[in-house]
Amino acid sequence: MSSNATCSDMFTLRGDLGAPSFLPWIARHAGRLGIIGRVTAASADEVSLLVEGPPDLVDAMELGVSLGPIDVWVESIKRERLLSRP
Amino acid sequence: MTDTPMLNEWYPVGILTQLTKAGRDTLLMGEAINVACDSLGAPVVSAEDGRTLPVRARYGHVWTSLGSPTKELFDIPEADQPGRRLVDVGVVRVKCSPLRAVENFLDIAHFPFVHTDILGAEPHTEVQRYEVQIREEVDEVWATKVKFYQPQAAKSAAGGITTDYMYRVPAPTVSILYKTCPPRPGEWDVITLFVQPMAEDLCQVWPWMALFDDQTPMTDLIHFQQMIFLQDRSILENQLPRLLPLDPGMEIPTRADMTSVAYRRWLKRHGFTYGAQLVAA
Amino acid sequence: MALSRDVPPQVVIPTFVDGRELAVWRSQSGRIAAWDDRCPHRGMRLSHGFVRGESLSCIYHGWSYNEAGLCQRIPAHPDLVPPEAIRVPTVAAVESDGIIWVASEPASQPPPTLTGLVALRSLTVEAPATAIATAAGMPIDQDGALRPDLAGIACVLLVQPIPGDRTVLHVLVASNASPAAQAAVSRALEDLRRRVESERLAA
Repeated sequence: MSSNATCSDMFTLRGDLGAPSFLPWIARHAGRLGIIGRVTAASADEVSLLVEGPPDLVDAMELGVSLGPIDVWVESIKRERLLSRP
Repeated sequence: MTDTPMLNEWYPVGILTQLTKAGRDTLLMGEAINVACDSLGAPVVSAEDGRTLPVRARYGHVWTSLGSPTKELFDIPEADQPGRRLVDVGVVRVKCSPLRAVENFLDIAHFPFVHTDILGAEPHTEVQRYEVQIREEVDEVWATKVKFYQPQAAKSAAGGITTDYMYRVPAPTVSILYKTCPPRPGEWDVITLFVQPMAEDLCQVWPWMALFDDQTPMTDLIHFQQMIFLQDRSILENQLPRLLPLDPGMEIPTRADMTSVAYRRWLKRHGFTYGAQLVAA
Repeated sequence: MALSRDVPPQVVIPTFVDGRELAVWRSQSGRIAAWDDRCPHRGMRLSHGFVRGESLSCIYHGWSYNEAGLCQRIPAHPDLVPPEAIRVPTVAAVESDGIIWVASEPASQPPPTLTGLVALRSLTVEAPATAIATAAGMPIDQDGALRPDLAGIACVLLVQPIPGDRTVLHVLVASNASPAAQAAVSRALEDLRRRVESERLAA
């Protein structure tokens, strides 16, 4: 894929995700990567997150989110490729 | 003394062949301890209040714990494999978190810049995708299928080769590296980093190796590894924050940092926070 | 807060202003920049980095940044075009009369003009600025400078506090001061330092 390719993935996060710090943390981290990170659904144990941007940065978002703030535990992340534009 | 799950783990505190009866005073997680040997040469470790601590003698080093470990010291089968040279590299003191020292050892993207023309060189800087998992059955972090082009991968390597690596974290402050062994294709050279947590921002690193290499003199093997580690020290003592952030709020991990992220997740899950920073600075 | 000649082309050095660790560097074409001394990737000090052409790179993983502080290359992922969001916070840096001035908040007034003066040397003193001012027997003026006569020669000492209750003095003398006069000032400076530091030890 060329260097300005982008893709959009739906992340399904599972774990102990209820802490109020989590959604603002996600927004900040997406901003720091310069990509779109929109939460489409959120509950105490599951969060759906639409992530759009260059593939390497979407990977970076997954890594960052897998850690998140200290009061959150992300047990697993399922990724589903919705769209990719070479 | 801090009460953390890390208390009940094994930590390296000395080299077996260098013990004396009088012993040497050192620090373990903020507590003063003395590392000595008895009249038969067996290691004895005592704490500040005089109590003797549990001891294991393994992989050329003395291991002890301030708490009561629930499991035995991790295993390195290769250590008992005939034909390997076992190398006690020595000790390097580093003013950084013991967890930062381990994280640095799990990273290959820095080879071309920190270990230039030895473990890596420009323009061979790309980090190919590799695999990382926490192996539940042994509760260890493993990175596999790691490949990197290296100008001089080991003393025994003649020229530049694409080196295969595996990384393993069997304990909070121990990292083991398995790398392609030039003279013995199909076998792995074993290079380990045993880290003694002296304080949350101070540690001593005891590298140890089990190699197939019959040509290189022992002193060259030791100097090669010490030089590599001294190059790392100038990095480790200039990273902000000094403790290891478990929340990457001030950092930008990319795919090349996958092993570091898995290590931090593993620490977070176990509550291994001695030397960690919980909230992003 | 550095002497221009201490930052020749393609060199980066650490400095400290208003509680902030900064990396000051000069590109190949001579352009000065002052940034937070911390790489956004994993927190390595950028003052340990290397300059190539018009960009500064971090020594740890080689992430390189252009003069505006924007990340332009991540060697481990060569095909990735780094987004503008990955950048190093920068501060205003101005160079005049051989001195590099840095202001962490937007500088209200331009740096003082020091025409007719030439930079002699920078000197680190193991004492806070106040102790130096009392030893020199004068207050620090609104330019943040002391203006004593050393060895009978009018000098300007630009005072830069740094961590650990220490201070860096950037010393200027008249541009027509003879080499002998400059050496005398330098010696007098070291006497002043010795006096201040020994007083602190005695206290």
